[in-house]
Amino acid sequence: MFGRNVKRMAVFMAALGLALGVSAGSAQAADTIKIAVPSPYTGSAAGFGENVKAGVAMKIDEVNAAGGVNGKKIEAVYLDEQCEPREAATVSSSIVNDPEIVGIVGHLCSSAHLAALPTYVREGIAAISPTATNISISDKNKDEQGKVWSFRNVYRDDFQGKFLADYIDKVMGLKKVAVFYENNDYGIGLKDAFVKEAKKLGLNVVGEEAYKKGDQDFTPQLTKLKGGAPQAMFIAGYYPEGALIADQAKKIGLNVPKFGADGFDNADYIKLGGAAADDTYLTAPFLADTAGPDAKKFIKDFKAKYNREVDWMSANAYDAAGMMVQAIAKVGPDRAKIRAYLAGMNTPEKGYKGVTGVNYFDANGDCQKPAFVKMVKDGKFVPAPKQMN
Amino acid sequence: MFEQQLVNGFTLGLIYALIAVGYTMVYGVIELINFAHGEIYMLGAFLTLSFISTGMPLALAVVLAMLAVAAIGVLLDVIAYRPLREAPRLAALITAIGMSIFLQNLAMIIWGSRPLPFPRQALPAFFNEPAFTFSDVTISWMQVIIYVVALLLMVALNLIITKTRIGTAMRALAQNRTAAALMGINVNRVISFTFAIGSGMGAVAGVMVSMYYNTMYPTMGYLAGVKAFAAAVLGGIGSVPGAMLGGVVLGIAETLGAGYISSPYRDGVAYAVMILVIIFRPSGFLGRSMVEKA
Amino acid sequence: MRGALNTLKYLIAAAALAYPLMPFRDVYVLHVLVLIMVYMVLAMGLNILPGFCGLLDLGFVGFYGIGAYTAGLLTIHYNMSFWLIVPLAALNGAFFGIMLGVPTLRLVGDYFAIVTFGFSELVVLFLTNEIWLTRGPLGVPGIAPVDINFTWLASLLGIDGRWRYAFRGEVPYYYLGMFMVLFVYILMRRLEDSRLGRAWLAIREDSMAAASCGVNLLVYKVIAFAVSAGIGAMAGSFFARWTLFISPDMFKFWESFLVLCMVVLGGLGNINGALVGAVILIALGEVLRVALPRLGLPAETRFLAYGLIMVLIMRYRPGGIFTQVAASTMQSGLIKELRAKLAARRTA
Repeated sequence: MFGRNVKRMAVFMAALGLALGVSAGSAQAADTIKIAVPSPYTGSAAGFGENVKAGVAMKIDEVNAAGGVNGKKIEAVYLDEQCEPREAATVSSSIVNDPEIVGIVGHLCSSAHLAALPTYVREGIAAISPTATNISISDKNKDEQGKVWSFRNVYRDDFQGKFLADYIDKVMGLKKVAVFYENNDYGIGLKDAFVKEAKKLGLNVVGEEAYKKGDQDFTPQLTKLKGGAPQAMFIAGYYPEGALIADQAKKIGLNVPKFGADGFDNADYIKLGGAAADDTYLTAPFLADTAGPDAKKFIKDFKAKYNREVDWMSANAYDAAGMMVQAIAKVGPDRAKIRAYLAGMNTPEKGYKGVTGVNYFDANGDCQKPAFVKMVKDGKFVPAPKQMN
Repeated sequence: MFEQQLVNGFTLGLIYALIAVGYTMVYGVIELINFAHGEIYMLGAFLTLSFISTGMPLALAVVLAMLAVAAIGVLLDVIAYRPLREAPRLAALITAIGMSIFLQNLAMIIWGSRPLPFPRQALPAFFNEPAFTFSDVTISWMQVIIYVVALLLMVALNLIITKTRIGTAMRALAQNRTAAALMGINVNRVISFTFAIGSGMGAVAGVMVSMYYNTMYPTMGYLAGVKAFAAAVLGGIGSVPGAMLGGVVLGIAETLGAGYISSPYRDGVAYAVMILVIIFRPSGFLGRSMVEKA
Repeated sequence: MRGALNTLKYLIAAAALAYPLMPFRDVYVLHVLVLIMVYMVLAMGLNILPGFCGLLDLGFVGFYGIGAYTAGLLTIHYNMSFWLIVPLAALNGAFFGIMLGVPTLRLVGDYFAIVTFGFSELVVLFLTNEIWLTRGPLGVPGIAPVDINFTWLASLLGIDGRWRYAFRGEVPYYYLGMFMVLFVYILMRRLEDSRLGRAWLAIREDSMAAASCGVNLLVYKVIAFAVSAGIGAMAGSFFARWTLFISPDMFKFWESFLVLCMVVLGGLGNINGALVGAVILIALGEVLRVALPRLGLPAETRFLAYGLIMVLIMRYRPGGIFTQVAASTMQSGLIKELRAKLAARRTA
């Protein structure tokens, strides 16, 4: 009995060893340079991962169509981590393990990014996240010598939260605001920054309620928020739930302007929210109407390629991939040199001029970018009549 | 405000109840927690969407989706669970989990992973208009439709279980499968019928939810499935009226919990109620009723 | 034959020991192997309940999470040594196991399973919402890695020096993980054969008979629950000091399922089975991750195949890879004799 078990175990172990061995040994192809794009491509956040993939794929296709970098083609390796920290940690070790991968565009979720960071820092490979906004990343992305290994070309949560509080108070002149936040790193980061700034400004926060990703029924919280008679509602979360919140708020008669951060910047918000999406204000890295020729071309090409409106994730991913490609072109396919190059992009002059404006990093690898305000009017995104500056 | 919360909680509860019925019926006859039931509910919504997009009228699309999902439920049983009828119970449970993963990812491949809106143009315009307004309580037509459909389906289901031959056979099976087989009941046919009915009701719940909230996505089955499962337990798993009662209680408890206690702990209220009920009344509200296994 | 197999066993063990020191070692493979070890410990811990006692526990991940957060928070706030944290985390897990077990272990059948499920969801909600303690969904980043610190000994001996080794990379964790698996494995083997283990098996086979033989059902079930919870928490503390980041997302309901699947796939109640189950389910995910894109299939097919393979294994081996009967039982002389007799009667 025991003997049979051992035999089975032996066969099994041999098979496993073989499988892992096969998976580890990858063919050495010298005519391509790989960058890894770890994001959720399955699971509940897969829709966002698709956006990032679309942006990166577009950049890579353009670069390769133009002859690649120094005669070599760039290849993006899309690795699924489901937005799960545990999966992200595994994926990170497979990335550092592949010597052909010279840089990373990802991760999408802050928690996944934080879980993967220790590996990147330890093994020395630079990552640019187009979407991870959590403030903790800024002080967990350095090695012992203080070198930054993780950059991002997206605003941090605290910037947007503060920005929106200022906008509501100073530009819109509204004084009573309800806060409805998603109970995850993104929502809480935004909410905390918003509430802190609101206190400073004397903006009256009449209620703070939470919801969870995947919730469909928001009426209990909305009914409660309505009781505070707010003049505006700040929804700190992403567009799929945001659209449902807008819809249900309208149904229960809570007809106030809605404010969102970049998580709302997706045409699906209007599709899902319908008429209720109107009168929503949101921050965006660029405005289609006032954008430069590069951005206009990007918006047009994106629509032609994917048959949908561009969203901020795709735009940021497009630029993040662009930066990575530029770094490879300048210093060659070397992980440490790429990092040094990216860290050197520390002033607007040395920055990368992408579709989302000038991308450059501060000493923590964070970016400084202008924010614009868009609004939904008659079922369309239009620039808000009044901007901050 | 309190009355409005109650109305909304009741609506939510009826939807949970419709899903919970599927869990509880399957549990009643084969003692299996069918974890793939949440996916059945999700398929109901997506198939309706696909039928509507071929230009079918809404009612026809819903009926067709219901039939298709009922067929999928039966197929699920025949392919996955039937071969394990005599195997250890946990084997079937793991199979159910495996099927749940499979169906969810299949839906993601077919319909994509982004949330899709329910086609508004297929819905009559008055659906989202308020039907009744008393002081500060509003009930929309959509809510009225959910009430009517859910109650009709449950009455019909109760009639089937108590008055028809196949219903009697189901109850017999729930009491003792071997004895039922000896009495000449075609056990597999009855189990298939149970899956068909439970899945059909789950599909209707899926359609109504996607209409009510105007959205559907491949992972929507997970949370709804878990809540409905809690509802089934609350009412006494195996009991059909129990599932209905459990669903409504859970929906109201959750809504009031979110409205008055703490919204981050919204789901916690549901689980806490469930745990307390089980500790103090181990067989749920109506655990000793007809489809319960002795 | 037996000798050859034993040799093979030692060869595998030697290869496993030597692998991280080889020049061709691979960070990714090492990471996956360490992950497998974490799940081996979890699977062995859970196995006590459904395997030894016949209690279905759907909330095991709750204890795993409690252990991970105990370790993470003690490290962050008090910079406590890993070697102190492990027993503390295990005790904390066992404490919660007892708190949950005492009121609920009287419940029969699936109702017990459902309460444990509710409990694990409450743990996740607590971790998510008590931001003052756990930082909530922001997670706990920057947990220090495991270290071996004998500086105190040096100062005690009056020698000037920092006798400290901090774990870096996967290799030290690989050996530490191996040690942990071995420790729990031996513990399980000893428990299985002990008075305690026999009482558990008696409860699983026929609780009525066990009770009438003088087994105090509740006490033994609570002990089982506490031991299982303690092992889960221990795995959690290792996990926290290994990934260096924890967040409530890591301890969702799905993890309970995954570990339960490992136990059932391997063969309920079989300790070797729990090990093999962990290997299969973790390795399967990774093999599919690497293999499917090479076949030109999209990422979504990974879990499609994963689910399907789980269904197929259960379809063709409903009792799991290994037999349900504990190996130690099969080695007992009495049972051997009995089996031989039965076999003889059958052929006669």
